[in-house]
Amino acid sequence: MILYTPLAQHEIFPDDQEGFSNVEHIAYGGRMIYAARMKDGTYQVQQLVSTDPQDYLRAEFSPGSILS
Amino acid sequence: MNNNPEENENQEDKPNASSIVEKIQQLGQSNIPQAPDSNIHVLSIIGQVEGHIQLPPQNKTTKYEHLLPQLIAIEQNPKIEGLIILLNTVGGDVEAGLALAEMIASISKPTVSIVLGGGHSIGVPIAVATDYSFIVPTATMTIHPVRLTGLVIGVPQTFEYLDKMQDRVIQFVVEHSNIKEEKFKDLMFAKGNLTRDIGTNVVGKDAVAYGLIDQVGGVKDAMSKLTEFIGSNDSAEGGVIQ
Repeated sequence: MILYTPLAQHEIFPDDQEGFSNVEHIAYGGRMIYAARMKDGTYQVQQLVSTDPQDYLRAEFSPGSILS
Repeated sequence: MNNNPEENENQEDKPNASSIVEKIQQLGQSNIPQAPDSNIHVLSIIGQVEGHIQLPPQNKTTKYEHLLPQLIAIEQNPKIEGLIILLNTVGGDVEAGLALAEMIASISKPTVSIVLGGGHSIGVPIAVATDYSFIVPTATMTIHPVRLTGLVIGVPQTFEYLDKMQDRVIQFVVEHSNIKEEKFKDLMFAKGNLTRDIGTNVVGKDAVAYGLIDQVGGVKDAMSKLTEFIGSNDSAEGGVIQ
């Protein structure tokens, strides 16, 4: 793998790799979403992966909203 | 938190769904009121461009396996008439970046890119891959030699491989922008511009002056350029549309 970036290696591959592990990609409403799984089993939207700008105006896809 | 009032009208949700995953799957099939279709789609390339190896989770990444099918979908969908690429990236995997750049360059529909904040390293070929490129005045693009991260086995071979990879990046940028190869190499191998590194940090106006980017501008300029491209496409096709 060749990384072409001005960042140093330790910035990309830190020694301490903890946290963020509860983030999964899930399909919801036909869109791909990065969502964090909460302790109660629900998902909280972190990021929407879509090329349609109108999707980003939809409340259920906005970051922080809970998918129940 | 579990008992959010359901907003969807055509809800087929069963009250005793066995698991939350099922609920999500069911919700996914319900009819959500659709916003009007946009004829311009947006592809944002943020953080690290991720390649064959998944990066540690604290990196914000753009995954090529997500974007490549989206680009095909954009090419195929007749309702989509144009594409804007938003770039704020620190670079990343060379092959994934070149794959994205080649895909964007070979799309038949009008494409416009805006470099916001930063379009560094492998962000440069992605930025110039579009039909027309914009950079906001405050954005920067770092141009520097390709380097290796990780284990090095067989130094001479590796060096040659890196060198070839670097040539591919240079060739792509030269072919898709107005910058001369010599000028781009000068910027890439310049000394004294970056602290403790070789290369150049090119800011908005300079990127345009070097011929790397077409114009300084933001959303308004990009949208009007794309609309102009779409307009000329429509008139070229004539009246017959199936």
